[in-house]
Amino acid sequence: MRVNLMDRFIDSIEWIAALFIGIVAVDVFITVLLRYFFSIAIPDAYDFGQLLLGILIFWGIAATSYRGTHITVDLVWANVAPRYQRWIDVFATLVLLFVVTVQTYTLFDKVVSTRDANLLTFDLRLPVWPFFMVAWIGDVAAVLLIAVRTYRLIFRPDLMAASQNIIKPVE
Amino acid sequence: MSTDGVAITGFIVLFALMLLRVPIGMAMGLVGVSGFAYLSGGGPALKIVGHTTMRTVTDFNFAVIPLFLLMGSLATTSGMSRELFRGANAFVGHLRGGLGIATIAACGGFAAICGSSVATAATFSRVAYPEMRRYGYPQSFATGVIAAGGTLGIMIPPSTVFAVYGLITEQDVGKLFVAGIVPGILAVFMYMATISIIGALRPGFLPTGPRSTWAQRLDGIREIWATILLFAFVIGGIYGGLFTATEAAGMGAGGAFIIGVLRRRLSLNDVLRSLLEATRTTAAVFTVLIGALLFGYFLTITQTPQKITEFLGSLGLGSYGILTIIMVMYLVLGCLMDALAMIILTVPIIFPVIKALGFDPIWFGVIIVMTVELGLIHPPVGMNIFVIKSVVEDAKISTIFYGVLPFILTDLVRLAILIAFPILALWLPSHM
Repeated sequence: MRVNLMDRFIDSIEWIAALFIGIVAVDVFITVLLRYFFSIAIPDAYDFGQLLLGILIFWGIAATSYRGTHITVDLVWANVAPRYQRWIDVFATLVLLFVVTVQTYTLFDKVVSTRDANLLTFDLRLPVWPFFMVAWIGDVAAVLLIAVRTYRLIFRPDLMAASQNIIKPVE
Repeated sequence: MSTDGVAITGFIVLFALMLLRVPIGMAMGLVGVSGFAYLSGGGPALKIVGHTTMRTVTDFNFAVIPLFLLMGSLATTSGMSRELFRGANAFVGHLRGGLGIATIAACGGFAAICGSSVATAATFSRVAYPEMRRYGYPQSFATGVIAAGGTLGIMIPPSTVFAVYGLITEQDVGKLFVAGIVPGILAVFMYMATISIIGALRPGFLPTGPRSTWAQRLDGIREIWATILLFAFVIGGIYGGLFTATEAAGMGAGGAFIIGVLRRRLSLNDVLRSLLEATRTTAAVFTVLIGALLFGYFLTITQTPQKITEFLGSLGLGSYGILTIIMVMYLVLGCLMDALAMIILTVPIIFPVIKALGFDPIWFGVIIVMTVELGLIHPPVGMNIFVIKSVVEDAKISTIFYGVLPFILTDLVRLAILIAFPILALWLPSHM
């Protein structure tokens, strides 16, 4: 896959997650307004809210894993030469790849078991497993993106420079 | 290997992985599941991964985090910080160190609509620092004030760290937010007093600014209506029982969006950028949360919290002696990792100890947030310091640390006051 195409793919994943956070906010905002002003409840607003939350988090984790903006302890990394920084990053990313791959495997099991159990939403009686599946696809995207990050850290570190400059926005 | 041996090995591996920059959540998850698998078998361990992960990310109570992050991000983008600074400056700018006092007041106001210390420090590095330098404030003081003021972000509600603490310990997030109000206001006044004392002790060190007219002061008040409205709406809604914390977060995000759009302070690009920022932080926080919950199984099966409680109890130090040890541990950990990671990593272990000692969980939430706040400004990994450094590029890290020293002392005094008088944190939530 060409580099610019891959970057666009990564950006798209992040935008999908961002879109879902907006939808969850709108869902909660409208639900509360309707409840107070019109005594109306949107069917399944609560279920949709939490299922969309799951989707946004997995898709968000995919982008975060690629950008390297997870919460980390940088004490050693910040005090070693750039050459060692790179190898620390490679090691950390390989561990990340292993953990997320195992997580993806176990989550698929969860999607299947949810489908088999015929779990439905409370009001509209919609099956829950398709939502879990969309969330799971985000986790699959995370595995792919972490693999790309590993490749780039080892063979094309210049391509990672831009994303390394993002300040971790937590706290 | 015995259970204790597995627990000790698990902690050693966990710290080794974290020092090698493995994301904290992933390290906790890996060690937790591996340790659990060693003691209970691989099948059950893999089952808990899928189950816990999906349960965590689809728990609607946890939506409080992304929604408050979105509210803070929208508030930051729509430039409310500048109005707060102008408003505060109109009243106190003419005092010795007045711009510093105005910065603290504005940080306090901004913290009331934004739950992030880093965002508060970054914002005021751009808004207040140039003004302070223009009037001849020393660089160490100007950066130190902003670093200290930034810590208010996680103390004054809404606060991401309070929300995470509440979710991990199953405490009412709304009560935790309300418990942070008085200690937050106390922090604002104590920081202001610190600046006044510095100004009084070293008159040549801090300049004065021009005195504003009453018309300018009234203008300043008029400009900050949006911040007051948003804070009153969100926290008032929680306190008055109108909203749950999650609903308040959603209403706050919606409110910040509407206010920003009506005042023409938010373009489509601004909104998209806010969504993106909130998404990035949410993903980072949830990764640690999932890891912590997986690590929790390991703690349970190895009975680590119970053993630590027994060990600390056997020392014969009394409850406040043990509390002091815990506080010192947090101050030391603050040298290694950031506030949120510290809380997520340690609270599952420490919280049972605190409950066994008979301390109030809400009060302890305030105490722990105050303690990790210190980690944001003390060396060597004070996150706020690095954020300010990234904006004020010509400032040396050592200069900023020097400037923040008086405020670290102030924080320690405030911590002692809150430990001595728990009512300061518990009075407001007791009326909910």
